[in-house]
Amino acid sequence: MKPRIAIFSLTGCEGCSLAILELEDQLLAVLDAVEIVNFREGMTERAWDIDIGFVDGAVSTPGDEAEIRHYRESCKVLVAIGACACLGGINTLKNHQLAAEYRGYVYGERAAWFPTTAARPIAAVVKVDYELPGCPMVKEEFLRFVKHLLAGRQFRLPDYAVCVECKKRGNPCLYDRGVVCLGPMTRAGCDAICPTYGSKCEACRGIVSPEALAAAALNLRDQYHVPQEEVLAGLRLYGAYQEEKLP
Amino acid sequence: MLDRVVHRTDLSALIDELARTRRIVGPVKHEDRFFYEAVDRAGRLDLDFTYCVYSPKAQLLPPKETLLTFDRTTGNFTCHPLYDERPTVLAGVHPCDLHAIKLLDHVFGAEHADEQYLSRRRHMFLIGIDCPHPCTAGVFCRDMHAHVADSGFDLMCYPLERDQAGRTVRYGVQVGTTAGQEAILYGRVGTPPTPEAEQHLARYQAEKDRAFPKAIPVDSAGLPGLLAKSYDSLLWEATARRCYSCGSCNLVCPTCYCFDIHDDGALGGNGGERVREWDGCQLRGFAEVAGPHNFRPKPGSRLRHRVFRKGKWILERTGLPGCVGCARCDRACTARISLVDMYKQLAEEV
Ligand code: SF4
Ligand code: SF4
Ligand code: SF4
Ligand code: SF4
Ligand code: SF4
Repeated sequence: MKPRIAIFSLTGCEGCSLAILELEDQLLAVLDAVEIVNFREGMTERAWDIDIGFVDGAVSTPGDEAEIRHYRESCKVLVAIGACACLGGINTLKNHQLAAEYRGYVYGERAAWFPTTAARPIAAVVKVDYELPGCPMVKEEFLRFVKHLLAGRQFRLPDYAVCVECKKRGNPCLYDRGVVCLGPMTRAGCDAICPTYGSKCEACRGIVSPEALAAAALNLRDQYHVPQEEVLAGLRLYGAYQEEKLP
Repeated sequence: MLDRVVHRTDLSALIDELARTRRIVGPVKHEDRFFYEAVDRAGRLDLDFTYCVYSPKAQLLPPKETLLTFDRTTGNFTCHPLYDERPTVLAGVHPCDLHAIKLLDHVFGAEHADEQYLSRRRHMFLIGIDCPHPCTAGVFCRDMHAHVADSGFDLMCYPLERDQAGRTVRYGVQVGTTAGQEAILYGRVGTPPTPEAEQHLARYQAEKDRAFPKAIPVDSAGLPGLLAKSYDSLLWEATARRCYSCGSCNLVCPTCYCFDIHDDGALGGNGGERVREWDGCQLRGFAEVAGPHNFRPKPGSRLRHRVFRKGKWILERTGLPGCVGCARCDRACTARISLVDMYKQLAEEV
């Protein structure tokens, strides 16, 4: 029997679920190997006995919270996809502002009609079995995940930094041009796409390890003289780091 | 001893002649930096390059390569190894990197025959370019006795004469192999060396000797002893607090040859390929085995491991230097962890 797949979206741009449709030549092979039973971006019928549920978006409203609990109950395996679902993502920027303020400028006079909470990654609310981070999720990694699951092999995210992929691609390092790139502290898997196109890494795949974060705190302060607020602001963009202080 | 004297245009012509049956790879300038790249003619190379950001290692051991493909669709397991058999002229290799290639040859040829590596190596024609002065600040090739090379090339070119713009106009060429000898004969370029050219080379070498300062307190022969006394130094833990375990130092290093192998299955599950990718001892998962158990779970133990490999263990095991002093690792480290600094500190400690 083919595994029954669902794809859900909470608060986010739904770019991650769209990335699945962008698999193009591989999409047909995926569709051949699984049965999609619930996917708002791609179909109208919806069923609720699900083997693997993929969820993008953060838990950012009371409604999201109810939905994610329902998804968890309906899916044997729950997979968070994208920065929003894995880290809270861009949504978490509001966590560092006053609720009255951001609700005012986002919803204006009707703010009271739209209850929101602090944005959280899915794992803060329910148990998550796998995470495929990135903004958006990396479609090649999604494919690798599906292959591993179908073959019964253990799936692991890369446990090394973006620099590894950057170096394998033979890129010039942005630090040589005085740009403070977050690659050394960020989990790889995106094939260093941002540095490859000349932009610094902004840690959308999250921090790779506590040691790397601790090293970053030291290096950015002592070697590069970046003010701590700036480091925090950089790491908060995608919710990679939520605390007020660096180690 | 010189075998030929060639003008810069002769050298270009010689490479183009070799390229009738080979690809050309060599240093190409991008903004202010040089990278090894495949080009269609020698004129695109910049043989007066300082150093290439990445070493020529990738030309022999690519960052990622498919070793074999397999298929079991028919019930019979079939498997096809893949070899890169493209003849290549790698033009523009400095002495340090020639030494590094010698080490790779030993590891992939003598210690264990790696057919994929050997296939690339057999099809490679190596043209060395000597360095008249240190390519950049911070190198310690002299201390590692890798700033000169008397073998490991098909042809070696000494930049004997420069024009106003600093471009080399005349090279003294030394032949290293029969293939090199044939290239000179059939290429019909340059002139036989005169006694005057030999004197010129001697002068060049004397000037070069003065141009390369000692950069670390001990040389390659003294490093094993220094490190032997430093195994329990506090330096490792202290320095590694800054270490991201990002592996950049490994990946840019011309002598780091570690790799990982994994199988990539096709979606149907019946076929796929076996892939080899660069790995590095600074990465957290490098020494992880089943269990899971990690032999070097801490950045400090990984840092010490790398330095011991570079300064002591490889030399003791192979008789060849495990580090050629190119300082690519120091330049690549965004945490500014430096071999040169560590060696200096260790020498002060003992
Ligand atoms: S992670 Fe990025 S692409 Fe995915 S839903 Fe969030 S904002 Fe959109
Ligand atoms: S550009 Fe960024 S990701 Fe690439 S090597 Fe440099 S620090 Fe690492
Ligand atoms: S490290 Fe030494 S041998 Fe290597 S390129 Fe620089 S100067 Fe030449
Ligand atoms: S490049 Fe620097 S930070 Fe990265 S692993 Fe090597 S020593 Fe550590
Ligand atoms: S350890 Fe550093 S200096 Fe030595 S060969 Fe490797 S990159 Fe060059």
